[in-house]
Amino acid sequence: MNPAAVVQPEVLARLGALSLTARQAVESVLAGQHRSVRHGLSVEFADHREYQPGDDLRHLDWLVLARSDRYQIRRYEEETRLRATLVLDASGSMGYGPAGATKLEYARGLAAALGYLMVRQNDSVGLATFDTAVREFQPPGSTMAHYLQLLDALARTQPGAETRLAPVLDELAGRFRRRGLVILITDGFDDIEALTQSLKLLRYRRQEVRLFQVLDPRELDFPFSGMTEFIGLEHEPRLKFDADRIRRLYQSGFAGHQERLRAGCHACGVTLEVCRTDEDLFSVLGRALASR
Amino acid sequence: MEFLTPILFGGLALVSAPVIIHLLHRRQVRPVEWAAMRFLEEMLIRQRRRLRINEWLLLLVRAAIIAAIVFAMVRPALRPPGAAAAGAGAGLRRSGRTAVVLLLDDSLTTQSGRSESAFDALKRLAVAYLATLAPGDEVSVIPLSRAAEPADDPVYDLEAVRAAVLATPPAWVAGDIPALLDAGLARLRRHTNPGAELVLVTDGRRAGWRLAEVARWEELRRRLRGPATAAPGTRGHPRLLVLAAEPDPAPRNLTVAAFAPDRSWLTAGAPVGLVATLRAEGGDTPTPAHVELLVDGRAAGRQDVTVPAGGEVTATFTHTFALPGSYSVAARLAGAADYLAADDSRSLAVTVGRGLSVLLIDGPERAGLRAKLGFLRYALDPEGKGAGPFQLNHVSRAQFVPSLLADARVVVLGDAAGLDPATVAALERFVVGGGGLLAGLGPDTRPAVVNREWFRGGEGFFPAALGAATTPARAPRPAGLDRAHPAFAGLGDLGGEAWQNAHLPTYFTLLPEAKPDPDLEILLRLDNGAPLLVERRRGLGLVALLTTTLNAEWNDLPLQPAYVPLVRSVVGQLGSFVTPPRNLRPGEPLIYCPTGAAGGAVTATDPAGRLLPLTPGGWEGRDAFLSAPLREPGVYTVQDGASPGPRRFAVAPAPGAERLAPLTDRDLASVLEPGTPVFRRPGEVTAGLAAARGSGRELWPLLLALAIGLLFLETWLTRRAAGPVPLGSPAP
Repeated sequence: MNPAAVVQPEVLARLGALSLTARQAVESVLAGQHRSVRHGLSVEFADHREYQPGDDLRHLDWLVLARSDRYQIRRYEEETRLRATLVLDASGSMGYGPAGATKLEYARGLAAALGYLMVRQNDSVGLATFDTAVREFQPPGSTMAHYLQLLDALARTQPGAETRLAPVLDELAGRFRRRGLVILITDGFDDIEALTQSLKLLRYRRQEVRLFQVLDPRELDFPFSGMTEFIGLEHEPRLKFDADRIRRLYQSGFAGHQERLRAGCHACGVTLEVCRTDEDLFSVLGRALASR
Repeated sequence: MEFLTPILFGGLALVSAPVIIHLLHRRQVRPVEWAAMRFLEEMLIRQRRRLRINEWLLLLVRAAIIAAIVFAMVRPALRPPGAAAAGAGAGLRRSGRTAVVLLLDDSLTTQSGRSESAFDALKRLAVAYLATLAPGDEVSVIPLSRAAEPADDPVYDLEAVRAAVLATPPAWVAGDIPALLDAGLARLRRHTNPGAELVLVTDGRRAGWRLAEVARWEELRRRLRGPATAAPGTRGHPRLLVLAAEPDPAPRNLTVAAFAPDRSWLTAGAPVGLVATLRAEGGDTPTPAHVELLVDGRAAGRQDVTVPAGGEVTATFTHTFALPGSYSVAARLAGAADYLAADDSRSLAVTVGRGLSVLLIDGPERAGLRAKLGFLRYALDPEGKGAGPFQLNHVSRAQFVPSLLADARVVVLGDAAGLDPATVAALERFVVGGGGLLAGLGPDTRPAVVNREWFRGGEGFFPAALGAATTPARAPRPAGLDRAHPAFAGLGDLGGEAWQNAHLPTYFTLLPEAKPDPDLEILLRLDNGAPLLVERRRGLGLVALLTTTLNAEWNDLPLQPAYVPLVRSVVGQLGSFVTPPRNLRPGEPLIYCPTGAAGGAVTATDPAGRLLPLTPGGWEGRDAFLSAPLREPGVYTVQDGASPGPRRFAVAPAPGAERLAPLTDRDLASVLEPGTPVFRRPGEVTAGLAAARGSGRELWPLLLALAIGLLFLETWLTRRAAGPVPLGSPAP
């Protein structure tokens, strides 16, 4: 599958420029983190490269220096491969939004762009989609062919049944054996207490978690007027309200939910990024990388 | 608490509008797909009760807004208890601002009085009333003499109204209180204040009240009462106040009650009697008087008479007009200086001709007394030389050609059956154009033909539809006649026996019309009630019909002493009809139709010799010059550059307008609603209305403020529930 099928062409075009800055940012930020988390562990040798000023002298290969009087730096497999898993919410509520700009479509674009970034810098990236349960799981890989398989999987993803974040994350946590990064893309319309517990479990399983919450602008603004019948996307009973009468109450309830989500994420060290589907994907990516 | 416009209570039905709108609103549901249902469900569980309370509260507030506005429009007013009691005692109380129509009776009798005229007295009453009004009250003033003129807008400046009342001059119009009330009711529609008062200020004389016009008063009372829902003292049911000055109960007054020539057609060179009727009112002794005759403003005779107390006397001046033309004559009481000076003189415009041209269209024969018009011919011109006032052209029916009508002022038809259509059409044009026609009937008359071709359902020249010729068992006789009618002016002082001894065994009955013709007048009846002589206006002309023969074929009327003066008077009257009229009443406009070549300058002067403005216009399809309504009595003169000699017009008060009989409480009770307040003196006005003044506090400003406050509350409730629609970034 062509990446352009799920990533907007202009996003791809801009990702070319982004990759340079992103790579620098990733390498300068993530590399330090990798070293610190890998400290004291045995790692697999990969190859050599020329010493450059500023390189850590601990990784200088003294044997090569002694034999050939050349300054070579040892490189390890683990240093260049980040194991990331994109966890995409494909529940019914993610199907909300105007045709061509639903939350799921936005989330797919976001996932594809993040995957592309990681593959471009030789990181491993996997994919899990779910609604009430995990529907598809692809373990991380770092090749472009693997990335294209991910894109195929993303393209096949359609809105499904109800949102069950907590059991799904618990199940995924059991699959992660090694340290890694979990990128959870969801609208977060679930019980915050259970979600927080699941995030804590992921953290316990040595997973760094980043949560991208995708929202439609209307879910924030509630721009309806007059008598309105609300038809749920996850088979909830229909509700009739005078939208003008309940706007403030809705907004109040929604703001409380967001506050609890933000507090839960903060408590378990999860970075939360809120995205509106009318927001430029590039700026979301830039903001996400900058926050690292 | 009272409501000034209770009819608007119906607007309370609008209170249900928010509920209806709410229900309709609920039916117009827009379905939308929605992802964040969990928040709505949570909100519903937690806030169901609050939502319902908010909804009902909002409905309640909206209904209250409408109710407050409707109540404000109904204009409730609170009256202080003390003021209410005082006002009710006098039958008077005002609530809020009042619309007042001040009806000033400025009729002829208000000029009566010696040291102070009745008009001055009634103006003092009006001023006393105006002093009881408060700022914000609006006032219209309608003098009776201007009741028919276009209305001005009501005035809020009470001082200006007072000045206008004091500056109003008396007029010469005849009193007509019902017309004044009618004008007041119409004027009230231009006012806006909720309270309403019609204030009739009159001189307390009986003449203008038209007490005999029962139906008219009944209609007025109905209109004053208004609809059953209207509160008293509002524009739907205005309060009537009568300020009637207390008149001198028995003033001594001499009047020139009537002045007229003794015949209708005046001929140059022939003496004519000009009869002045003098009447004395009040007093209990005969009153000596000197009456003068003025011809074109110059003294032409003088007589001393003694008028019996409460009676009449006539003074006849014989005068000969040397030349044809338009003259003014006047009878004037010299040095009367009595209670009412305005009725001491009466003017009259007369037209003098050379001789009245009369065309007699007879039956087949026109010779001898057996001819249809044989008697009439001798009555009009006994010598047959045309030397008298009538110049006859006597033709048989066969000899008649329409061109003969060109020189005639009057046509007499004598049982002339079988007129061809061209003759009928020519006669119709003759009458419509201003000619006079006298028709007699007889055995040759065919009612069916007459009705079909001459009468034509009222469209033809004939005055009435004929029934069958009748010969009752007992020959009827003529009944009494109205001697005041101009057609009988020539009878002079002939007694009733001069015509009432006649026998009329055969006559035609008249068919009753489905819709009575107001122009048809029955001048003389038979003693069995059947019409004998009728008259009808047709266009600019006049037609008279005798329902029997003009000769002795069906009756012996020609043999009676009254026959000659009767036919001469009737024919003279038919020929004397000058149009437009030159004897006018105060308030009527002068209308002059030029008869000479077009383009001549036309000017007019009033009795004081001042130039009277004339406006070109039209009258009955003819070019005319018209003046504004004439106010003052006297002689007005028109000079037409294209026609020799002046045309004189005379303005004189209507007969009877000067009657000074006082208005009694019983008279008032016969026409006014019981309890109608009547004030006789300025002090009574002040005392009676002081309690009413200042009463009542209208609540509509408070209600409007309440409505505005509720509107703010509604906005706050709506906004509180709706909340802002954020356009910025989402909450983190």
